[in-house]
Amino acid sequence: MKKTNRIFTVLIFIFLYIPMAVLVLASFNTGKDITDFEGFTFQRYVELFQDEHLLKLLGNSLLISILASAIATVFGTVAAVGIHGLKPKMRKTVMTLTNIPMTNPDIVTGVSLSLLFVFVGTKMLGQRDSLTFWTLLIAHITFNLPYVILNVMPKLNQMDVSLTDAAMDLGCTPVPAFFRVTLHEILPGIVTGAIMAFTMSLDDFVISYFVSGLDFVTLPVEIYSYTKKPIQPRVYAMFTLLFALIFVLMLTMNLLQLRSDKNKTERRGKTITKGQRYFRRLAALVCLLALLAGTGYLAFGTRQEIITLNIYNWGQYIADGSDGSMEIVKAFEEKYPHIKVNYSTYDSNEIMYSKLSNGGITVDLIIPSDYMIARMIQEDMLLPLDFDNIPNYQYIDESFKNTAYDPENKYSVPYTWGTVGILYNTKYVDEADVTGWELLWNEKYAGKILMFGNSRDAFGIAQYLLGYDVNTTDRAELDACAEKLKEQKPVLQQYVMDEIFATMENEEAWIAPYYAGDCLVMMENNENLAFYLPEEQGFNLFIDAMCIPSCAQEKEAAELFINFLCDPEISAANMDWVGYATPISEAKQYLDPETVSDPVAYPGDETLVNGTNFTYLPEDISRYMESLFMEVRND
Amino acid sequence: MSKELIRLRDLTMEFDGERILDGINLYFNDHEFLTLLGPSGCGKTTTLRIIGGFLKPTSGTVTFDGKVINDVPPYKRQINTVFQRYALFPHLDVYDNIAFGLKVAKLSKDEIDRRVNEMLEIVSLKGYENRRIDNLSGGQQQRVAIARALVNRPKVLLLDEPLAALDLRLRKDMQNELKRIQQAMGITFIYVTHDQEEALSMSDTVVVMDKGRIQQIGRPEDIYNEPKNAFVADFIGESNILDGVMLADYKVRFFGRTFECVDSGFAPNEPVDVVIRPEDIDIVPPSEGHLVGTVTSVTFKGLNYDIIVEFKGFKWLIQTTDFHAAGSTIGIRLNPEDIHIMHKSDYSGMFGDYSSYSAEYDELTEDAGDEEE
Amino acid sequence: MKKNNSALLSTPYILWMVAFTLIPLGVVVYYALTDPATGEFTWGNLRDLNQYWGVLGQSIGYSLVSALICLLLGYPVAYYIAHRSPTAQKMLYMLVMLPMCMSFLLRTLAWVGLLQDTGIINDFLAFIGVGRIQLIRTPGAVVLGMVYNYLPYMILPLYATIVKIDHRLVEAAEDLGCSGVQVFGRVILPLSVPGILSGITMVFVPAVSTFYISQKLGGTDTVLIGDVIERQFKQGNNPNLGAALSLVLMILVFICTGIMNRFGSDEEGGVIA
Repeated sequence: MKKTNRIFTVLIFIFLYIPMAVLVLASFNTGKDITDFEGFTFQRYVELFQDEHLLKLLGNSLLISILASAIATVFGTVAAVGIHGLKPKMRKTVMTLTNIPMTNPDIVTGVSLSLLFVFVGTKMLGQRDSLTFWTLLIAHITFNLPYVILNVMPKLNQMDVSLTDAAMDLGCTPVPAFFRVTLHEILPGIVTGAIMAFTMSLDDFVISYFVSGLDFVTLPVEIYSYTKKPIQPRVYAMFTLLFALIFVLMLTMNLLQLRSDKNKTERRGKTITKGQRYFRRLAALVCLLALLAGTGYLAFGTRQEIITLNIYNWGQYIADGSDGSMEIVKAFEEKYPHIKVNYSTYDSNEIMYSKLSNGGITVDLIIPSDYMIARMIQEDMLLPLDFDNIPNYQYIDESFKNTAYDPENKYSVPYTWGTVGILYNTKYVDEADVTGWELLWNEKYAGKILMFGNSRDAFGIAQYLLGYDVNTTDRAELDACAEKLKEQKPVLQQYVMDEIFATMENEEAWIAPYYAGDCLVMMENNENLAFYLPEEQGFNLFIDAMCIPSCAQEKEAAELFINFLCDPEISAANMDWVGYATPISEAKQYLDPETVSDPVAYPGDETLVNGTNFTYLPEDISRYMESLFMEVRND
Repeated sequence: MSKELIRLRDLTMEFDGERILDGINLYFNDHEFLTLLGPSGCGKTTTLRIIGGFLKPTSGTVTFDGKVINDVPPYKRQINTVFQRYALFPHLDVYDNIAFGLKVAKLSKDEIDRRVNEMLEIVSLKGYENRRIDNLSGGQQQRVAIARALVNRPKVLLLDEPLAALDLRLRKDMQNELKRIQQAMGITFIYVTHDQEEALSMSDTVVVMDKGRIQQIGRPEDIYNEPKNAFVADFIGESNILDGVMLADYKVRFFGRTFECVDSGFAPNEPVDVVIRPEDIDIVPPSEGHLVGTVTSVTFKGLNYDIIVEFKGFKWLIQTTDFHAAGSTIGIRLNPEDIHIMHKSDYSGMFGDYSSYSAEYDELTEDAGDEEE
Repeated sequence: MKKNNSALLSTPYILWMVAFTLIPLGVVVYYALTDPATGEFTWGNLRDLNQYWGVLGQSIGYSLVSALICLLLGYPVAYYIAHRSPTAQKMLYMLVMLPMCMSFLLRTLAWVGLLQDTGIINDFLAFIGVGRIQLIRTPGAVVLGMVYNYLPYMILPLYATIVKIDHRLVEAAEDLGCSGVQVFGRVILPLSVPGILSGITMVFVPAVSTFYISQKLGGTDTVLIGDVIERQFKQGNNPNLGAALSLVLMILVFICTGIMNRFGSDEEGGVIA
């Protein structure tokens, strides 16, 4: 009986630690994929320490968790002493209040706080920026407080009340009595509470995900968006380091405690309170760190001469310096040292739109697609551009001016253009089956087909397949499309956006519709992949263009950035990595001739005539389509 | 005697509508060893905490040296306390515990050192300076607690059941020790206990309390010999309490017989409680006895036998050095000075009959183990 | 009363908690009852909930199954830990805690790497000739993800309860003629009920509201209420419907914890310490 129990326990521990082992192993892998161990290397750790972006996010996470846990610890301890002094009935009520964030699901806490901040900040105070570092800090303090209180309260209850009486009896006024006596008694509770609060804060994803704006993002929130793209192995390296750090921290704490326990029973000498002294030092250290970090942030945050430009763009949509490319953002910052770029990403027009229309954030530059631009113009969400600041606009080809979505060329400057087609794996997919959009409904490949995770693209495919107008406002047609999409669900592996990169490249899925530029990138990484454009049925021809949303605060800097990207040389360097087509013919001379002649990247005019643009849909139709799509997915 | 130091006037105390103290009037003299004695919940600890400044009375005043100190916080009173279970600071060693009050008062290091060492001497704990508190025995902890309080040179030391946690042997030693320290320091001790023997053997004055009221104040001998009511009689030592009628001065009638006694000043034919201590009763052959009864049980107690004797259905406890077998018939004689007469009170009829002997014994021992409040 | 002064210290805290827990819940109710387009009062969002009862049922089902599996797996482990030496207990406790402190996103992602069709387990199965089987994107994978992520939440309160059981009770039961199994059934198990209840609550609540696990390990069918809420906020641009859904989730969880508290003695804080 005992033996089986031991074996069982060992098995459970193996179960708990297997995924960690996989991650640790992956951090030493020369290959990029978590599933194939190709060779041993420390390279990922080197990369990690060179990746300023990642380090900054880690810094953000540490800052917020240290500050939040330190504040919550002090605040919570004081509160616990107060609650302890309340009458029993009131105490019970307050403890119920304390338990709300503990029992409420994280998602509800996150949602409710973000709604509160947006409601108060944007609707009541009219701020543009209601989701900031400070609101994130408030949220973290709020969910940290119960951990501190629930750890300190039992210690206060256990404490012999006459200890404080004794201190006062011996001449201490209440406050010194607290510091000289009570604090020592409840310190273990405070330390445990602080550590729990810190780790909860550091690892919190759900609440931060809902509460953070774009200017201050923590590591877990960023990792969430990373996990959609092929995850960079250096993230595993960071995980391994954090794991080691926390392991050592916990181990030392345990050992210290054990030693002080031993001291209690064995010691006779003067050094009796060593264990507690360590605790005290640890606590002091944490407080000091928090203070330093806080002042550091404030000093940094209040440096006025630097302009922060908030760019909100698609993922994988700007050359980031990897694979020998040019790091566009860095090049821009070097050219304009007074501007610092804060860059964040989305993976569908709808997510970007939601984020902006929910309010609470500041964004200076976005790159939506045509139909979304039309919608945003219609809803007054874009600012007219000052073309005096964008002289490079002259390089944009005439065919990309006076478009349907922005007929007066007031709000947008084209960034890329491209087509939507089907990416498939030639190793598994029979060429004979590649006949049109119906490939995505082919039961032969059930479980290996991916589909767009956004409504407009998904409905677009159904519309091409059913022969409807992609810009229809006919609800019956949309209903039919929804039916068609429901029909497809059983053969689908998943609805995705940027996750497609990882899944198609490692051949977890075989067939997926996606944007040609990204398909090119994937094809480069896996030679079995091929691109197909259903010319007869029709396909989407899209333009993504740079716009300045109405919540922007640094319009001029944003225009500088637009201008920078329109420089033919820069555009070429950028597109070389992004894989999409440039709307600037001048740029083609700097590009690899092979790329320029590739029909996937630059389809010929005879192909392009079969493509259609998505245009503006009235508000109620967009909403209707979105709700239909939700229904399809939730069915 | 010496001058008055503390006076409590009409003290009442209520917690959540429950009356804990009900009109306490009491004064304490300088250099006095005064004990508040009573069962759990009688209000003795509450009284002590009011004197210490940890509680504010609902009404009434506390004066110290002629000044009202109701609103003076504990840290400004020249009074120190030895707490129940000592309340020693677990994070400090013996030396630092004792030095605590002096450090708070910001005395010089030399002064602190001198006074702490002096105290260590007095409580015989030299050489234990650096001991951790949890490495001390109960008696040693007790002495640290006393030293910690006395080192501040208070005018009054409050002791709240300080010996309750010690075993019997140690308790006896500490009783002597405490009395010695009190005499050596020459200050007022206010001592709270539920142990009547402790109270009688140590105190100059004993205050018996029950249900938030003072039942009797007096020297230990007076309390024992002249209990004011059935409660005091029963609480202090063992007593047989009978219903009687005071026929006239020095004449009391009970059990259908008239006895001579030494009490006077009662109304003619006033119903009274008669107290007869078990050790005062003389056993004689049945023919010579004022009363004749049957022994129903015998318990050997070491020094004496406790025997229960039934007189006309009423059971008495008698302590005797001679053995009388259960079932035997004996007579008793009562001398006038063995008969104590008390006015009737709320407690009349609640004590006295030893038919529930063992149950009452249990209750007493239970009480002894109980900590107050 | 005697502690009036110190009680005042709790006032800022109470104000803070009211401002950042109670009022936000009020804002959720406000959003749930207003129209996304016009901002006027409406029952529409609550009516729209009708299409989500299935999703809600599915979420409850998955989380209950996960909680029960956690209980079955966690109890022997907690029991084992509780009967080690104090030093070993501390170390094992730490080992259970440790995974909770590490990014759960990455750990879930590691499961994707293990379970996917081209993943480590399937590679191994293919290598030994068994052939690849469908592991990921099945209901089982979602339950596995929940069990894996929330198992520590079950073990810790169970351990805390079991370790407090007085060993003399076991001896007393044996003295009164109980066999080993009977001791467990009649003494230990009934005494660990508070731990079991708090463990179930602590697994059930995060499991029923998760969206990441179902997104990563589930298929197109495994849509949970958390997914729907996340999508309403992040893609669907309908915070009002999202708020209505959050409200439902919150009420569900309060009912659950209410039931659990009714059956168990509510020890404050016992769950985490």
